[in-house]
Amino acid sequence: MSDASVFDELPGDLMIWVLIVSELLVFGAGLAAFLAVRITDPAGFAAAQDALYRTGAGVNTMVLVTSGALAAWALRLCEAGRRMRARAALAAAAALGVVFMVVKVREYAGKAAEGIAWDTHPFFTFYYLLTGFHAAHVVAGVIVLLLVAWKDAVPNIEAGTAFWHMVDLVWVLLFPVIYLLR
Amino acid sequence: MPRDPLLRAWAALVGLGLASTVVAALHWPPGWAAPAGALILVLAWLKARVILSRYLGLHAAPFWRRGFETALGLFCLLLLAFHLASAV
Repeated sequence: MSDASVFDELPGDLMIWVLIVSELLVFGAGLAAFLAVRITDPAGFAAAQDALYRTGAGVNTMVLVTSGALAAWALRLCEAGRRMRARAALAAAAALGVVFMVVKVREYAGKAAEGIAWDTHPFFTFYYLLTGFHAAHVVAGVIVLLLVAWKDAVPNIEAGTAFWHMVDLVWVLLFPVIYLLR
Repeated sequence: MPRDPLLRAWAALVGLGLASTVVAALHWPPGWAAPAGALILVLAWLKARVILSRYLGLHAAPFWRRGFETALGLFCLLLLAFHLASAV
């Protein structure tokens, strides 16, 4: 009789997958609520969305998916015993996370300069709540990437990069719903 | 296309991201907002699939890959229903 469980199939630690599912549920509920509230005022939501900086958000998508590739590459390098290259890839992935935040802060500063705040319209309440919560995860992810570059055991890098990919995964769902859907 | 699966995944994500932005930037005739929105959500689901499979390594865990893909597919259908409800 085999002790093999379907949970053994999952790459990495089971707890990081519990975290990933929890985060997906939280952001998923937020995005669904955003689109549900939009039904009550589609014209107002479309007008508010026009104030967003779509190009910057599109650039940030490229930045984040590239950072994710570097993080995945770092795990592969570490598994192959190439620790210095793995650390360099993690540092580069973290640096791209900082680039994401620079673009995001400029976006928020632009909104503030236009007098747009969280209570300007329900669209912006969701916008600041969802993108702000995601940005907090990016900051945490950058710290985690640097931490596992320092403490570079394979299980650490596997867990740290999985967190970073979760941040990436949330963004590829959040970006089209908030910035693109009309 | 690159032979390395990781490089292929990155190229696919960049391509799908650009495609989403182009679809959103196009001036669709009246009545086409719904199919354009559906296309944007399909592209989002495809990007999520690539991240799950190649970045998070679920290509080696087919049971979980199918589970996550199905759940995210159903979630995108829910988002599409809300999107269509606000388009009518």
